Amino acid sequence: MVVDRRKAAVFGTAFALRLILVYFFPSLPDLLTGRVEVSTPVNSFKRLQEGLHLYMRNVSPYDGGVFHQAPLLLPLFSLLPDVRYHPISTAIFFAIVDLVNAHALAKISESGQSVQSRLHSAMRKNIRWDGTTVAAWFLFNPFTIATCLARSTSVFTASGILLAVSSAVGGNSLNAMLALGLASYLALYPALLFVPLVLLSYDQRAEKTPQPPSISHFVARHVGIFVGSIAGLLGLSVLVTSNFWEFISATYGFHLLVPDLTPNVGLWWYFFIEMFDSFREFFLGVFWLHLASYVGGLTTRLRRQPLFVITSLLGVFAIFKPYPSISDASLFFATLPLYRHLFPFMRYTFFAVSALLYSSLLGPAFYHLWIYAGSGNANFFYAITLVWSLGLSILLADSIFAAIRDEWEQDHPERRGEEVKQV
Amino acid sequence: MRVSSYLSLPLALASALWTYATSASPDYSEHLLLQPLPQSSLLASFNFRGNTSQQSYDNQHFQYFPRALGQILQHASTKELHLRFTTGRWDAENWGSRPWNGNKEGGTGVELWAWIEAADDEEAFAKWITLTQSLSGLFCASLNFIDSTRTTRPVVSFEPTGDHPHLETLHLLHGTLPGEVVCTENLTPFLKLLPCKGKAGISTLFDGHKLFDAAWQSMSVDMRPVCPADGDCVVQIEQTVDMVLDIERSKRSRSNPIPRAVPNDQLACDPSKSYNSDDTCYPLEKASGRAWSLQEVFGRTLNGVCPLAVSDGESEQPICLRVPDERQVSYSEGVVEHRKADGYTRCYALSPSQPFDLSVPEQDIQQEVPLEEPVLHAERTIVGHGQERGGMRMILANPSKTAHVDFIIFESLPWYLRPYTHTLQATITDANGRSREIPASDLVTRTFYRPAIDRERGTQLELSLSVPAASTVTLTYDFEKAILRYTEYPPDANRGFNVAPAVIRILGAPNAAPIYIRSTSLLLPLPTPDFSMPYNVIILTSTVIALAFGTVFNILVRRVVSVDEARALGARTLKGRILSKVIAIRDRLQKKQTKVE
Repeated sequence: MVVDRRKAAVFGTAFALRLILVYFFPSLPDLLTGRVEVSTPVNSFKRLQEGLHLYMRNVSPYDGGVFHQAPLLLPLFSLLPDVRYHPISTAIFFAIVDLVNAHALAKISESGQSVQSRLHSAMRKNIRWDGTTVAAWFLFNPFTIATCLARSTSVFTASGILLAVSSAVGGNSLNAMLALGLASYLALYPALLFVPLVLLSYDQRAEKTPQPPSISHFVARHVGIFVGSIAGLLGLSVLVTSNFWEFISATYGFHLLVPDLTPNVGLWWYFFIEMFDSFREFFLGVFWLHLASYVGGLTTRLRRQPLFVITSLLGVFAIFKPYPSISDASLFFATLPLYRHLFPFMRYTFFAVSALLYSSLLGPAFYHLWIYAGSGNANFFYAITLVWSLGLSILLADSIFAAIRDEWEQDHPERRGEEVKQV
Repeated sequence: MRVSSYLSLPLALASALWTYATSASPDYSEHLLLQPLPQSSLLASFNFRGNTSQQSYDNQHFQYFPRALGQILQHASTKELHLRFTTGRWDAENWGSRPWNGNKEGGTGVELWAWIEAADDEEAFAKWITLTQSLSGLFCASLNFIDSTRTTRPVVSFEPTGDHPHLETLHLLHGTLPGEVVCTENLTPFLKLLPCKGKAGISTLFDGHKLFDAAWQSMSVDMRPVCPADGDCVVQIEQTVDMVLDIERSKRSRSNPIPRAVPNDQLACDPSKSYNSDDTCYPLEKASGRAWSLQEVFGRTLNGVCPLAVSDGESEQPICLRVPDERQVSYSEGVVEHRKADGYTRCYALSPSQPFDLSVPEQDIQQEVPLEEPVLHAERTIVGHGQERGGMRMILANPSKTAHVDFIIFESLPWYLRPYTHTLQATITDANGRSREIPASDLVTRTFYRPAIDRERGTQLELSLSVPAASTVTLTYDFEKAILRYTEYPPDANRGFNVAPAVIRILGAPNAAPIYIRSTSLLLPLPTPDFSMPYNVIILTSTVIALAFGTVFNILVRRVVSVDEARALGARTLKGRILSKVIAIRDRLQKKQTKVE
């Protein structure tokens, strides 16, 4: 086996960087764990520790308002040594998870699916980054590093999604469904990725076998696998918690009904703080429908590029899911470099990047003004979350435009490079 | 204070009353204990007790039991009830241990706990709600705000004090309202429950202006069944009022309540100070020899005795005063003074129809009434800054040099305060001031924990603890402050939210009455949203969402064409045609204008 020295260097440096940060700044992980931008009620490591503490003492962690994460995380973390006395082992564990995610990303990139798939072939195939560079973009993204140091459990969801995609592009649709089942089990919202992922798997299958199976048959079988994997995980969870409905309502009910309005970088919390009581349920429905509506639109329009649909859906989730954090944004930023060939088509990159930088610098400052200094009020931080969402949605819309433009060029090779317009 | 060794009177009196209570007969009695405390304070402890036989109580034949309360309790199947209204803080450093060993006081605000007979928890809670709603009307207090989030079911902190035949069907429910302001409107219904209704007897001394001006006051109503070994069961109602009045403050006339500077010639200065001169004075704190009388302190005299109070046993002398024997005390005519053997207590037998006043002149005396030192000092505070998270800190000091003290801490926290029990830490400081951190499990022998659920129930935490002799234990844990929906904040949102006091039950000998200590209530500031702009937030958020949705779907549904094609297409569209028409009309008009010119 040939060891790719460049890749080894990138992975080694990223791993060392995380450990160095933990070792030289021992208070940094706890500081980041407490940041609302990094830790939300559904991925906070402190809440996981509290759940673990109750679980170890035979108190149901779901019979309370603190712990809302998947039950199988409890036995997993009870195997790790106590983080209060051995913080370094937990840090190593999370750093390894990050490396696994980066490896999956590199595999996706190396498969070339982003530029060349069954129904699509990009015009500018030569403009692309290799797997190691894409992995480096992910590993050295400050948002990823912050998520890793804060030991946010979102990294497991990200692993599930990335492993599902990397299995799908590798042609292993069974593993893809199992991994997506894991991600959906952990955080519910990845289930929305099912449709593009099945299409991606189907395209892979159709490309490789001379006589592809009928699409309805293929989808039906994979629905079965997906549902089966979730049912299996839920079954295991019942063994851990012993009370099925209690943990269902404390985890998925908590995602769906959004009772905890702790500030985060998303749009839901302040909206539902200020919402009139009689309209709360209505707008919960509207917000969820809105989030789900992108799946249909993107999948239909970009049928030829299911991998790009997944990328843009990750961007949608980073903006519109109920408890978003910067870990969701880091996942979107990790998949964007797969589309290096689309960058020349993007029109508002400067504006989007400026808005994102502006909000990531001012966000913590305004939060401090509101919560600690008392010289600002909630609107300060709320305004920054609006800017952050706006920046992300400009980036998202711009990349979708670039993808459609790329498809147009493929259909009209003679007009390559011309100015286009949408009518 | 080197007094913990011998038993002083309040304890003796309390235990005497305790034994007296268990051998109760159907009657009514009332008592008042007056005791000057250091720093010009006066403790007045009123006690009223009525018994009605269980049989007549069941037949709704209420004798000394107030009918209004009795019917409520029967309707809500309440077998034992304890209701407390408390304001202020008992200064244990100066005043020693608490009256009635803390058994007759509650946490700041209103505290209610009751044993309710019910088949299951759900039925018990439904009856509990009935009880709180009815008591709310009876006592003019916001007891109806004790909902599921303020109700707890303590496991080990409270034991029934009455004799119950079917203990297994009884459910203990406990609720607190730490923010309730106790005032005159609660006193009036309280007095109405008394047989003499404040018209005769010691209850005539109650004046809302004085009572609620006290440094500390606690009103209690206790109902319990008592079954003596040799007699029929009785239902007992006991009402107490304890207050610590500032003598100087109470003596000020109501028409001129502003404190004035003491004239120069009446100042008692400390001549040992180096700067003591004609115009510089270090005022000396007056010893216990301060002058006062009932009339001055309570604003009125005692109006005879309540004729219903039976005249046997202790009720013969309903008023007792604890001052050293050498203290001069003058009292109204027709009153008989009895001195007790302990050298500190004298009691007065009143004449039925004459007003009674008691006056203690100013006198320099060296001797003081010994105060009993509390067995445990407890302090509870919120630490940390910012509105996002904080910590709870409890300092528990055992003053005894020899004995360790075992106790149970009971905390009921509102749901918007989310404690992290895994952060519970203990620090122990010994007599030499050396402190070290130890695992909390070394001190905490048992834990009962019921975590909060948002908007459904509060946190309930009971810790069994033991503090070694002459040491101080500091317990800390972290918590997070939730942000609420804007309709859930009270009008004064930035004042903060009240957190109920911790109840500490000190475990002594198995059969002895327990000692209770309550910490002060806490104020918890929560992060607040901007209350003025729900519309703006809805509009702004919706705009951002619409912008993203609109842009993305705009890109998705529209066709991509090159710019040349777009121009060609544009000519044929409706817009293009209208535009060309507009241009044509404009050109024609311009032509006309030129013609006119």
